[in-house]
Amino acid sequence: MLSQFGFILLFIVGAFLMLAGILGMARLLRPDKPNDQKLLSYESGENAEGGSLVSFNIRFYVIALIFVLFEVELVFLFPWSVVFGDKQLIEQTNGLWGWFSMAEMFVFIFILSLGLVYAWAQGHLDWLRPDQKVNPFKSEIPSDLYENINKKYS
Amino acid sequence: MYPILFLSFSGLITLFLGFFQEGKWVKPATILFLAIASISAFIDWNKPGAYFFNMLQVNNFNLLLSLVILITAILIVAISDNFKEIEYAHSAEYYAIMQFSLVGAIMMTNFQSLIMLFLGVEILSVSMYVLTGTDKRNLRGNEAAIKYFLLGAFATGILLFGIAMIYGGVGAFEIDAISGTLASNQAQSLFLYIGLVMLLIGLLFKLAAAPFHFWTPDVYEGAPTIFTLFMATIVKTAVVFALYRILHQSFQNMHLSWSYILAGCIALSLIIGNLSAVKQISFKRMLAFSSISHAGFLLLGLLHVSKTADKSLLFYSVSYLLASTSAFGVLLALKNERTENGRSNENISVFKGLATRSPFLSAVLIISMLSLAGIPLTGGFWSKFYVLTDAANDQFFYLIVLALLLTAVGVYYYFKPIITVFEKSDIQEAITINPIFKIIFVLTTLGTLVLGLFPDLLYGMI
Amino acid sequence: MLILILLLLPLITAIAIAVIPGISGQLSKNIGGGISLVNFLIFIYGLIQFQKGDTVLLDYSHVWLSNANINFSLSADGISQVLLGLVTFITMVVIHIAGSFDYKQSSLLYILILLTESALIGVFTATDIFLFYFFFEISLIPVYFLALKWGGENAPKITFRMFVYTIFGSLLMLSAIIFLYTKGQTASIQELAITGKALPKNVNILLFLAFIVAFGIKMPMFPFHTWQPDAYTESPTPATILLAALLSKMGVYGLLRIALPLAPIGWNQLGIYIVILAIFGLIYGSIIAIKQNNLKKILAYSSFAHMGLMAAGILTGNLSGTQGAVIQMLAHGINVAGLFYIVKIIQDRTGSRNLEGLGGLSQKAPVLTVLFMIVLLGSVALPLTNGFVGEFLLLKSVFDYNNTLGVIAGLTIIFGAVYMLRMMQKAMFGQLLPANENILDVNKSELMVLVPICLLVILFGMFPNLILNSTVEAAKAFTQLMSNI
Repeated sequence: MLSQFGFILLFIVGAFLMLAGILGMARLLRPDKPNDQKLLSYESGENAEGGSLVSFNIRFYVIALIFVLFEVELVFLFPWSVVFGDKQLIEQTNGLWGWFSMAEMFVFIFILSLGLVYAWAQGHLDWLRPDQKVNPFKSEIPSDLYENINKKYS
Repeated sequence: MYPILFLSFSGLITLFLGFFQEGKWVKPATILFLAIASISAFIDWNKPGAYFFNMLQVNNFNLLLSLVILITAILIVAISDNFKEIEYAHSAEYYAIMQFSLVGAIMMTNFQSLIMLFLGVEILSVSMYVLTGTDKRNLRGNEAAIKYFLLGAFATGILLFGIAMIYGGVGAFEIDAISGTLASNQAQSLFLYIGLVMLLIGLLFKLAAAPFHFWTPDVYEGAPTIFTLFMATIVKTAVVFALYRILHQSFQNMHLSWSYILAGCIALSLIIGNLSAVKQISFKRMLAFSSISHAGFLLLGLLHVSKTADKSLLFYSVSYLLASTSAFGVLLALKNERTENGRSNENISVFKGLATRSPFLSAVLIISMLSLAGIPLTGGFWSKFYVLTDAANDQFFYLIVLALLLTAVGVYYYFKPIITVFEKSDIQEAITINPIFKIIFVLTTLGTLVLGLFPDLLYGMI
Repeated sequence: MLILILLLLPLITAIAIAVIPGISGQLSKNIGGGISLVNFLIFIYGLIQFQKGDTVLLDYSHVWLSNANINFSLSADGISQVLLGLVTFITMVVIHIAGSFDYKQSSLLYILILLTESALIGVFTATDIFLFYFFFEISLIPVYFLALKWGGENAPKITFRMFVYTIFGSLLMLSAIIFLYTKGQTASIQELAITGKALPKNVNILLFLAFIVAFGIKMPMFPFHTWQPDAYTESPTPATILLAALLSKMGVYGLLRIALPLAPIGWNQLGIYIVILAIFGLIYGSIIAIKQNNLKKILAYSSFAHMGLMAAGILTGNLSGTQGAVIQMLAHGINVAGLFYIVKIIQDRTGSRNLEGLGGLSQKAPVLTVLFMIVLLGSVALPLTNGFVGEFLLLKSVFDYNNTLGVIAGLTIIFGAVYMLRMMQKAMFGQLLPANENILDVNKSELMVLVPICLLVILFGMFPNLILNSTVEAAKAFTQLMSNI
């Protein structure tokens, strides 16, 4: 008699077997003619430049974090939507169930959006460009000289 | 339950309070919120029951634990100072995270279902990872945060795996159900044993008990002192009572299996903690090792399933909280006295000449050290007494002798700061102390002495 | 009830001096001196009441830890009364002595001395084992801080060594106490004696060893004495007197009240070896004392030797040994206080406490010499001084216990005479050094301490029955307990 964990083990073993079978079959069937272009990480024709360990602007991470937050929120919304429309529950509670679960989900989304508001208020959503450096060098040629030349030959 | 709900919302409010008037209301508001949360705990007083679909259990003892945690938090917040020394500090965030972490701590002490325990551990740990790394420009702080995060996440993984295994073995998450199943069945499945061991490993890691203590010295030293204090007091208390609920209220029938694991951890924690502390120069590092040895003592209180274990552990925790708050608090009060490269000096030598510069601070420090060392007249003595008499039986008596002999080693290093206090210093000017610090110090020191003279006041009340 | 007043009066005074701001050193000295005098008088009153048969005055009991069955119970029988008298008397002396030298920030000094008095009264009267342990351990803390703050250059290191040594011993004792407590489920020393008797032999031996180490370090007894000579030398005189006259007695008292009654089978098995150790230490200490040149070191080793004899007397377990030890505790306490004070006076006058820097002081300070001689003869155990009775009884008890050991222990009288008289001769007689031409004789304030001490030396020497009669019942109770194992 297998216990519950035994089934899980069987499942894992099955998954590995399946994967090995499919990949092995593909390996046997497909033509194999590699060239430089095919071996690039992006096959879109762009050539990769430099190492992959360059530092990105930290703001990418902040935005990515906020994005992930709202992605995960969706995961909670799916099961909720199933329970939300459960007929039996609605009948049992005389229709109160819908309002209750609706309110609960709004509280949840409200708290999440508070996080967004906080990040917004902190200025994490503004994409600040680096300040442009002005060269302190002062040219002896007056600046309107060029404009005059442009005017003259335009 | 009410403190949990209240703190979750007050944390959010605190976050946004940071935008008004440069966040000067954040600290008073946090203290107010914590006070309201403590009062809200009394709504459930004398009304034992379960909440959240039997995931959280409320009774008077659990409420008392929540109160101890909240009141300690009030003390700690009171001696914090808006984090002026940290560059680009977002103090509102830190106070908010502290409130969130308290939610986790209370969940860990009041849990009924192992899922709630896991949630509590995660909330508390993630908050602590963040707080450890708040001083972004401090390399040691960064190292500490990364170390704590990586090792801690690993330990949480093991903990979760253990919970899953226990579910596999018993088919339930509720600790009542687990203890019921264990009482009726004699032969247990192998998964249960593996699960229990993994659960223990995860929690012992959070408690900083040897051999899962490797993160402790670096993290204690690297984190800002106020969060080190937070870790040494609140996290420890929460974890010990989580362990208490698991070992004494659900797995008490498997006492034979876990008592040997615990005995090994106790012996190692006591030996490693006490012996390593001897050579430390940094005060925080010394206290980190001392906290390992105190973890050993707390586990000693868990070793034997007895009726008084909960009381003894609570007494131990309270006296340890009071003494640690004094000790770290004195270090915080001296933060600006001697600095090196813009950072405050946290070595024991910072106390040099304190006896002449500020007799008040030196008295506070001396009493806290005596209490940590377990010398009579302070709460530390009776807390050791209660824990040891609970653990005393023929089987593990050698552990008690070991604990007491290593206490003598403890006296050796706890007295180093005391001797330094009386050394002569080149600086003579008196130290001015913030009045809030004064109030807190008077409270903690008097508390330590009262516990030392009349232990029945607390022990008889529980 | 009276005993509680004795215990609390110094404690409350100390707290009051510490808390009330603006109390100067001089004022706190007067307060401390006054309170210690009041405490002494209260004790005398209690003693008189006790002689009349009113024992209630010296008993007190109150629940301390209700769940753990631990009581705050104090009681003084004949032996405790002798020690209480010693404590209250010596505290007075120490406060007076401390006031005659200027120590910085002196209000703390008197606070610490008063706290020590409180703790010692607790030790010598506690009838609950945890209460005893409680006071036993905290009595050291104020003395440690005294020695640390006002001690010599090496004081931090040496006093720290003393502290760690004694804490180590008392923690061993604590583990033994906890073991006995969990076995007997009671904390009363009397009831624990029954528990101790019922325990198996090997456990009993371990318990006995733990107690011997704890009290042996405190006294100190060979081979646990290594902290003592340096600590006595480096500490300031008030701390040295407290250590030598009072704290060391805790060890002997502990043997008498704890070690022997609670581990009787262990004593029965190992007692002889400990007696041999004690007597070896006694001879060893005496021989070292003969070779010393530092006055404080001579006194330290001499008191090490005396403690060895007291321990041996207790460990014989017979009546003369017990009574001898009690009377010798009193005599040694008084004598050693006087001797250390005289050494301090000499050191202040001449700037030297080495025998090389002294000599011929009797020409300039005849009164001091006479007083010194009286106290010193008491220490040498000349008949008609207080040291004689105790030493005689102790030697008799050791002789009864084992003839050979008695003969060896008897050598101590000869050695004691040698090193004490050598000190006297080199310091007070002989050639006067030119540097010491202008020294002064004792002044009034010093006479106030030395004259009572000398009177007590002679009083107890002439009428030893004062002590013997009042302690005989308690001593008999002890020997009876030890005789039927």
